[in-house]
Amino acid sequence: MSHGTQYVVAAYAVIWFVLMLYVAVVGLRTSRISRELELLARLVERRKADEQAAQAEGQASSSPATRP
Amino acid sequence: MTDLAVRLRGKGSALWALVAAVLSVVAICGVFLVAPEDADQGIIQKIFYFHVPIANTSLVAFGVACVAGILALRTRSPRWDEVLTASIGIGLLFAGLTIVSGSIWARASWGHWWRWDDTRLTTYLIIILIYAAFFVLRSSVEADRRARFSAIYAVIAFASVPLSFYAVRIATSFIHPVVFNSHGANLPDSMLVWFIVSQAAMLAVFIAFLLLELTQRRTESSLRRLRLALDA
Repeated sequence: MSHGTQYVVAAYAVIWFVLMLYVAVVGLRTSRISRELELLARLVERRKADEQAAQAEGQASSSPATRP
Repeated sequence: MTDLAVRLRGKGSALWALVAAVLSVVAICGVFLVAPEDADQGIIQKIFYFHVPIANTSLVAFGVACVAGILALRTRSPRWDEVLTASIGIGLLFAGLTIVSGSIWARASWGHWWRWDDTRLTTYLIIILIYAAFFVLRSSVEADRRARFSAIYAVIAFASVPLSFYAVRIATSFIHPVVFNSHGANLPDSMLVWFIVSQAAMLAVFIAFLLLELTQRRTESSLRRLRLALDA
């Protein structure tokens, strides 16, 4: 490899490495966000299920058949 | 509506990323396989095809931040604060790449990594320092005044960009080559066409990065709101 070619390769390598690194960082951030979103969705589902269970329990306790 | 905007922006960034990738591949192939070698500098001149477009794109990014700053001051919308912050961040990334690729080119052709007596280099470095200071100062301002302060800073800081160009024009001696002057491009068409393709590629990379950054910021703030609502 000639003296000049080494510099050209170095310059292009730095440019594309940094741009790809930025894309990788953005990709990592995106996966973190999607993980958090999944967690929140699961939490919402669980809350909804808890609320429904509490509602059903409330209805069951207020119905005449279950009164003493 | 916000969800739709985020989704559209996400699709937009993917489309621009595709455009940027295609243009970059075409530009690299054109620069190395089609564009003629410079008679004076030889293969070293190939650095020019990405060094100058990256430098121009960094200045475009600072210009976008300035326009977003004006719109932020007029509308007081947090959306423009997001745009100007993201744009300055990406502009700094491109400016850093300009300095590194320029230093490699300078070392290859002048034998020095840096020349303090060159007006274009030092004024460009000053521009970088001004914009780097933006993030330091932004983080030190109270949250309620942060957007307004950032907008004013982005508008004032942009004054350093044309100042850099005028400094080069009035300088009596500088070593940095000036390819584009008031008479047009000092390049043959066979080189100019690949320079234009490289420039288009870098602008597409900037737009893709900006849209991606904005989508992430918007999604992150939606997540934060959602978390707060769930905790309440």
